[in-house]
Amino acid sequence: MNDLTDRPRMPADASDFGLLRRFEPVLKFTRGEKFHPTDVETYVRESSLWVHAPDPAGERGTGGRDTLLVPQGELDLEKLIEPRPAPFGAVHYLRFIEPLSLSEAALALAEQARLNAESKNTFHAGLGRLARGGLFPRVVDALFSASFLLRGRVPAALAAAAEIAYHRLQEENPRYNYYGRVVRHNGWTVLQYWYFYCYNSWRSGFNGVNDHEADWELVSIYLYQEGDQLIPEWLAYASHDFRGDDLRRRWDDADQLDFVDGHPVVYAGAGSHASYFCSGEYMAEANLDLPGWVRRGFAAFNQFWTETLGQKSFDPFRIPFVDYARGDGFSIGAGQADAWSPVLIDDSTPWVSQYRGLWGLFARDPISGENAPAGPMYNRDGSPRGSWYDPLGFAGLDKVPPPPEALTLLEGNCEKLTARQSELDWLVPQKAGELQAIGIKLKGMEGNPHLAKQYAALEKLKDTLGAEVRAMRREFSENSALLDGLTKRLERLRQGIQDDPQAHIRHLAAPVVAAQMRFERAAQTWAAISLSLLLFTIVVLMLFTPTYLGTGLAIATILFLVVESILRGAFVETVAVITTLLAILSAVILFFHFWYWILIALLLATAIFLMAQRLRELE
Amino acid sequence: MFRSKRPRKKRPIAVTLIAWVIFLLFLVRLYQAIEPLLDAGIFETGLTGPLFDGWWLTPLGSALLTSTVYSLLSLSGIIVLVGFLRMKRWSWIVLMVWTAISLTVSLLGYFYGRPNYIVMASDTFIALALNQADVQRIFRIRTDPGERLD
Repeated sequence: MNDLTDRPRMPADASDFGLLRRFEPVLKFTRGEKFHPTDVETYVRESSLWVHAPDPAGERGTGGRDTLLVPQGELDLEKLIEPRPAPFGAVHYLRFIEPLSLSEAALALAEQARLNAESKNTFHAGLGRLARGGLFPRVVDALFSASFLLRGRVPAALAAAAEIAYHRLQEENPRYNYYGRVVRHNGWTVLQYWYFYCYNSWRSGFNGVNDHEADWELVSIYLYQEGDQLIPEWLAYASHDFRGDDLRRRWDDADQLDFVDGHPVVYAGAGSHASYFCSGEYMAEANLDLPGWVRRGFAAFNQFWTETLGQKSFDPFRIPFVDYARGDGFSIGAGQADAWSPVLIDDSTPWVSQYRGLWGLFARDPISGENAPAGPMYNRDGSPRGSWYDPLGFAGLDKVPPPPEALTLLEGNCEKLTARQSELDWLVPQKAGELQAIGIKLKGMEGNPHLAKQYAALEKLKDTLGAEVRAMRREFSENSALLDGLTKRLERLRQGIQDDPQAHIRHLAAPVVAAQMRFERAAQTWAAISLSLLLFTIVVLMLFTPTYLGTGLAIATILFLVVESILRGAFVETVAVITTLLAILSAVILFFHFWYWILIALLLATAIFLMAQRLRELE
Repeated sequence: MFRSKRPRKKRPIAVTLIAWVIFLLFLVRLYQAIEPLLDAGIFETGLTGPLFDGWWLTPLGSALLTSTVYSLLSLSGIIVLVGFLRMKRWSWIVLMVWTAISLTVSLLGYFYGRPNYIVMASDTFIALALNQADVQRIFRIRTDPGERLD
């Protein structure tokens, strides 16, 4: 698939449906994944429609009011798009799973366990995420988990109930949908494949960041026209925090892409459904939402730590999460056991353009991680989604012309520049000659006081002309360099030599190497128990030696860090960091007590240094 | 016959300064080793009494133990100093661990009202000097990209 001639092609007049089918990706999931792309119509029929209205003006503290608009069993795509006026701040949302009582939740969890045992589709984490981070990220992770007590969250039993409901729907009507859209912008033909999942179970199923009802994912393929053929050039997979250029890969990037019969393979993250080009396990990091002054304070300390003390930079407020995109489970598409059921959508598809609400539960999470997403065309707040209205800008392709046009554009640039260089080549000697004439005239005027007025006027003209000549010479020099670069590129393009397929990528998502621990089993156990062990130690200290609580806590923390470092094979590095931190604390204490003497010593040292320097000058 | 000579590593100024501080600390520890023996009059009269009273140490036993601990510390100081001057990797690690322990003890002492500012200052100096990039490079603690670790 590396060679241009090997690429699959389609006639330029092929139907949108035909184009989508020819390039539809193969989706490969991780073993243990419970949700796959499904049909929105069935999902909507199984859901209820709600509206969350904010507190009326003047009333605060109730957190708003949720009202059922259409109950489960009565909703369909037509009812979904009926106009429903609502106050500012109101959120329309679907509920796939109705609120569960305690007994219903217990039943759902039991049923989920039975389903898992029957299907044998179970997930094994391997080296856990907590073992991959250090002790400090574990503490921050505990705070992140605790933040769910304050933030809105999707209840645990909801994932189980969603899994059971999805399983039932698939048994009644087994089908795997994608919603395809074809759009033509600036010489590119963009094929968008939208996948809808009933539920995102990343947190509950795979120790990830969040859970939410409903999930929309996007894969885009960019084709260009050459003659009467359409040829694929780029692929862009939507994935977490990656934006612009980092999202896309070139069709011939053999290191990054897998194909099955000319269909690109997408490795879906377990639970998160984020799309990856290569199979493997990816470290995703969530940032703790901290006040600005804490961030700024830490940034200042980090600058001192790295630049003054020469230590490695670190961010303790990032929590490691793993996105498992192993591709060792269920798969859909060309050459797989299950095939796609494609559905064409565009701006005129009513449920796409006329429903701006959320496709699942509105969990009232202020940072939105647990709130369901809106549809393909909109963001959660109802504003238009960038990937829908600007599919080129979404993948950083708005500045990239299709390959056949690149040559024409480059030739045009070169021609313009060459013409300007010829013009400058003629203009510069002319102007320089004029300047010399003025210069010699000025020389002749010197020593004649009665010519002072004319002299001043001519001198002004000389300055203006001098600046003009200098600007033209600079432009000529800059243009030469630019023309040289453009010509070289033009030659490469004419010879059919392409850039490095990864030259545009700033941050390449790469799977992590799993086995980095020395004592893997011990490290995993330690990662699982260390934080609780530290808390037990604090309790013991508080109960038995309250007067030495500070001492005990300091020693225990250092010991925990040392054990951690031995298991991670970073003993020397950790000891150096601990010692440096202790030294900084000591330095602050010493300065606090002896600042006067330190000041005197500094003045003395400066005086001696200066005296030695001056005396050396006398020798 | 030519004998291939290994290029001599240039010793950074920080290494020499740390060596001097270690030497000073060795003298301090040596004094701390001798002082209890002098107080107990061992040099004049020798070991005249029992060292243990049941399970507990007698004052003489306590003085001997304190002297032994400080003697071992000063001896280890000398070993580290030799390794340090020969720029051995292990001596850097031992010294860093030692400094970490010493700083912890000093800081705890400070917070419990028994400050030892001289030890605190010398440990701070050693810790910061050991963390200098050129010192770490010469002891093979930090390597530049592409550099081979012997």
